[in-house]
Amino acid sequence: MASAVAVPSQLIDWEQPEQIGLWGDAWARFRRNRLAVIGLTIVVLLILDALLAPALVHFGLLIDPLTQDVTHIEVGPGRFGHLLGTDELGRDTLTRLMYGARISLSIGIFVQAIVLVIGGTIGLTAGYVGGRVDNLLMRFTDIWYAFPDLIFVLVLVSVFGPSLLSIFGAIGIVNWVSLARLVRGQVLAIKEKEYVEAARATGSRPLKIVLRHLVPNSLGPIIVTLTFGVPQAIFLEATLSFIGVGIQPPTPTWGQMVNDGYQAVFANPSSVVFPSLAIGLTMLAFTFIGDGLRDALDPRMRR
Amino acid sequence: MHRSMFDFRLGRVLAVGAAMATVAAACGSTPASGPSGAAPASQQVLSINDQTEPNSYDPGQETYTYEAAVGRNVFEPLLKPKADLSDVTGAAASGYTVSSDGLTYTFHIRSNANWSDGKPVTGSDFVYGWKRLLNPALAAGYVDPFFDTNVAGAADYGKVDATNATAIDAFLSGLGLSAPNSKTFVVKLQHPAAYFKWVATLWVGAPIRQDVVESAAGGSFPSSDATKAEAWASNASTIIGNGPFKISAIVPKDHVTLVPNTHYWAGTAAIKQLTYDFIPDANTAFAKYRTGALDIINVQGANVTVVRNDPKLSKQAKLIPRLTAFWMAYNTKRSPLNNQDVRMALAKAIDRNQLTQDVLHGTDKPLTSFLPKGMLGYDNSDNAQSFDAAAAKQLLQKSGVSVADLNKMKLLTRNTTTNQTVNQFIIQQWKTNLGLDIQLNVIDSKTVTKMIRAGNFDIYGPDGWGADYPDPQDWADIFQSGSCHALNWGCPTLPGYDALVQKADASQSASSRLADYKTAQKQLIDTAAVGFLYQQYEYDLIQPWVTNMSITPIDDEYVPGDFYYQGVYIKKH
Amino acid sequence: MSAEVGRRSKRSASPSFRPRLPNTRAVSLSLYVVRRVLWMIPVIFFVVLITFVLMHLAPGSPWDKGGGRQLSQSVVRNLNIKYGLDKPVWQQFLLYVWNAAHFDFGLSYQYEGKTVASLILGGWPYTFTIGALAFCLVVPIGIGLGVLAALRQNTRTDYLTMTFATFGASFPNFVVGMLMIIVFGVLAYNVSGGNVSLPVTGFGLDDHLIMPVITLALLPTAYIARLTRASTLDTLRQEYVRTAWAKGLSERLVVLRHILRNSLIPVATALGPTFALLITGSVIVETVFAIPGIGRSFVTAVESRDYPMILGTTILFSVVIALANLVVDILYVFIDPRVRLD
Repeated sequence: MASAVAVPSQLIDWEQPEQIGLWGDAWARFRRNRLAVIGLTIVVLLILDALLAPALVHFGLLIDPLTQDVTHIEVGPGRFGHLLGTDELGRDTLTRLMYGARISLSIGIFVQAIVLVIGGTIGLTAGYVGGRVDNLLMRFTDIWYAFPDLIFVLVLVSVFGPSLLSIFGAIGIVNWVSLARLVRGQVLAIKEKEYVEAARATGSRPLKIVLRHLVPNSLGPIIVTLTFGVPQAIFLEATLSFIGVGIQPPTPTWGQMVNDGYQAVFANPSSVVFPSLAIGLTMLAFTFIGDGLRDALDPRMRR
Repeated sequence: MHRSMFDFRLGRVLAVGAAMATVAAACGSTPASGPSGAAPASQQVLSINDQTEPNSYDPGQETYTYEAAVGRNVFEPLLKPKADLSDVTGAAASGYTVSSDGLTYTFHIRSNANWSDGKPVTGSDFVYGWKRLLNPALAAGYVDPFFDTNVAGAADYGKVDATNATAIDAFLSGLGLSAPNSKTFVVKLQHPAAYFKWVATLWVGAPIRQDVVESAAGGSFPSSDATKAEAWASNASTIIGNGPFKISAIVPKDHVTLVPNTHYWAGTAAIKQLTYDFIPDANTAFAKYRTGALDIINVQGANVTVVRNDPKLSKQAKLIPRLTAFWMAYNTKRSPLNNQDVRMALAKAIDRNQLTQDVLHGTDKPLTSFLPKGMLGYDNSDNAQSFDAAAAKQLLQKSGVSVADLNKMKLLTRNTTTNQTVNQFIIQQWKTNLGLDIQLNVIDSKTVTKMIRAGNFDIYGPDGWGADYPDPQDWADIFQSGSCHALNWGCPTLPGYDALVQKADASQSASSRLADYKTAQKQLIDTAAVGFLYQQYEYDLIQPWVTNMSITPIDDEYVPGDFYYQGVYIKKH
Repeated sequence: MSAEVGRRSKRSASPSFRPRLPNTRAVSLSLYVVRRVLWMIPVIFFVVLITFVLMHLAPGSPWDKGGGRQLSQSVVRNLNIKYGLDKPVWQQFLLYVWNAAHFDFGLSYQYEGKTVASLILGGWPYTFTIGALAFCLVVPIGIGLGVLAALRQNTRTDYLTMTFATFGASFPNFVVGMLMIIVFGVLAYNVSGGNVSLPVTGFGLDDHLIMPVITLALLPTAYIARLTRASTLDTLRQEYVRTAWAKGLSERLVVLRHILRNSLIPVATALGPTFALLITGSVIVETVFAIPGIGRSFVTAVESRDYPMILGTTILFSVVIALANLVVDILYVFIDPRVRLD
């Protein structure tokens, strides 16, 4: 649709850049980004692993993650038939890692979704509307920041009982604050930029401005914060399991495996290294995807 | 008929120390009888990891073992346990006599017992200390059951209005505590108690100087004022004690340093500086030990294997028995745990050998009875609860309870690493040996305590008990019906138990007491009131240059030999 | 001419009594600061209120012990009287607020006889020192690495910083800390025969600081680096940057003048809470290196339900975070003059 000479009867509409196929366009660009594809593949493999792990155990390809082999406690990788070694009760580390993906992956993803929704909305509102609303929302954020999260979670669990939902809620509700402030900061900076003024001048609705200009232009730091939040949420789950929220042992989760593995760091360092690597790999995958997403959605990267 | 306690002359503390050393499970250092071969004074420094900072340096307020570890070296009570735990021996008091009706104890304070500022220890110091302990405004933790159920006039401790100074004064003056002369301290009891001599060994029964307390508080104060009563214990300079050491420096959360009390009646200690570090992380302490910066640490978990496999470290390690036992508590008020067969089946389905040898790395030993080995009254002849998977299955079938009902139960677990590991093993045992699928319920420690106090649990464990002193009374009283919801969470119904134990508590005949306690123990085992698991042994690393340690099973946890640090010295190295 | 003369004479005739009106932006900024500081009071009040309510709702009382012999009912009763817990909760709250307004934060339940203020003030210098030092590492290294990675996007430098960031975030503090202790503490000791090694625990204004500060700084540096990189990349794609680039100004000028200014907003946003969290301490780093600071205080206080300590540490943290966010908001104005804080 590119025509070198603008037809006078057509106003160049800043609100409607070549919108046809924006998402398809973005997907095409995403696909071209090698790292992003690798990241996506890793995540897909992890999801597959999470879904198929019980089947693999059923067909005898994997040792059951709950089977304790107490004569072979904390053995190193490759010994006694345990590819990655065993933990403090002689359970196979590889299996527990594969099972751990089920819980840890869900926590990593869903919590960040909650954080994005709550933090993003509040940050956007505060930054765009400004004034009294901004002040009140930010003071509310200050209060929430200073919040004693541990006690809040204790109370939450004693009221709602331990369950996967309480974990998601507990971690998400506590962690949206930094994203909110980040988004607000971005919005404040971008709000004054010319193209936003121009959009306002042409009478576009605020929500449209927000979605069209603010979101793609401030996506970078948001994506970084979300990807860093994934391992954070995984570790937080391990901390929360101490106070009785949600995942009870012996169900394996990567965060708890790191905590338990730390006790044996002198005897068997691999029991803390492997779960950390799993968490790191997941985070890396999301980082690649995030970078790829940002590049794909960037309206200026049109070539 | 007068019962007279022998007048114990301690003589050279080092000689006693040499005798003690033979009690230790594995002797790594040769017990030298004199400081020849000792390092120069500048190197006479002993650094121990106490793990947690004491909440208070006031002995009356100290309730945890990590606090008592410091408290009993800065202060000294009337008596202390003998090395072999067979009886008590003199500490601040040289001896005592008991009246024929068993109601009056007269303690003779040593003529050369002195405070760290040189003043002599008097009977009134003990009267002040014990009255302070029994002051409701202070709300000292260990006043119950040791003092308020024993000292005459203290039975109303729980009913005094703690805000009313007059009421408190009236209560305190009505107590059976007196000092007829400066070197005598007399205690009148509510009822005869053969174990009372052991109560006199508790660190909370230390003497306290009234003038020190009042000067730190800025003068005398009404007995309802607890803040003024505690002011003296915050600064090293105002903590005047009568123990073998005195505090020279406190760095909050980091360490506390003790130096010898040169006025101590048994002489000045050879160690010139005793430092208790507060390092909470076991791995950090292990690393610090390996750089030589710590002399004594406790080793747990997988690090035990590392030490065993290390040729140098394994020689420095000692496995020390402790008078601490662990069991699973069953809530007998809830079905199906009101069924004895179910309880016994659960107890018999646990392979304690695997638990202690493998999971706990051999740092504990199986126990199928109540009193641990080394305790007076230890008796492992009753094997009713020992591991037998087949018998356990049969019992479960005989009980008639359905698997579905059994699987509804949850195992309440405190959120410590050891507890979680042990309990994961146990539910796996119940799965393998009984086909049950009982779930864990891991919750933070305070909430667990709240739940068990309210009786809101099915199975809880491992519940543990460490001896306050080596008399079976300290143990047997746990399962009295009056202790339900206070010490005895499962509230098992034990017909005849209360009467038997109370008779034994009061009896003056050593042999009949022991027999009664054994009978009571048998009842606990046979009715599976609780499921006994293991006895705690402690695996500690002690540097080879630490000499003359006197380690007993009643030492405070993770600080082996702390009853007799005044005899320890550092060898040249 | 006559007007000027008039003005001149007017000026010389009446030296102004009114103080000169200073730069209006400075005035509005100062007013803003004053308003924000005043806003801290209701914020802290609400934090205290919510904490108070939550504390008393949380299961478990301060007198329930973790294990071993539990306290008897009569002792518990006396303890409640001693610390005023027998009064109704609303009364306790009002009493606390009244005392707090007079800077009396009460006595700790766990540490008998010690005041909350003395405990916090006693431990904070250690925590603050380590946190501030870590912050001094985080800012230059984080931002520097981030800008570098952005300028050299998709090259080896970029991938190295990304790997560093990933490891920094997925290997938890205690693992990194213990690894450092093993290598620089134990191994160094063994290899050098006891001569050269870093001290394993404790605080000191010397080599005691090295390992804890580095461990503490790892995760924030990784985060700031990635954040800076992402924000710088966003800025690099702006038109005027391309224009400036095309003009041929030396690369350094372009970076410093345009890019940093524009890309630092999100970084500044993150640095505020980062600073606040660093100087109020990390429970993990302080546990692993046995540092007698207040980082552990909050967790220990919650675990033992030491209500006054929980409140004291929470108030400290809320003051610190509110101030940090205030500084960040002011920084916005200086970084990007177009930003308006109403």
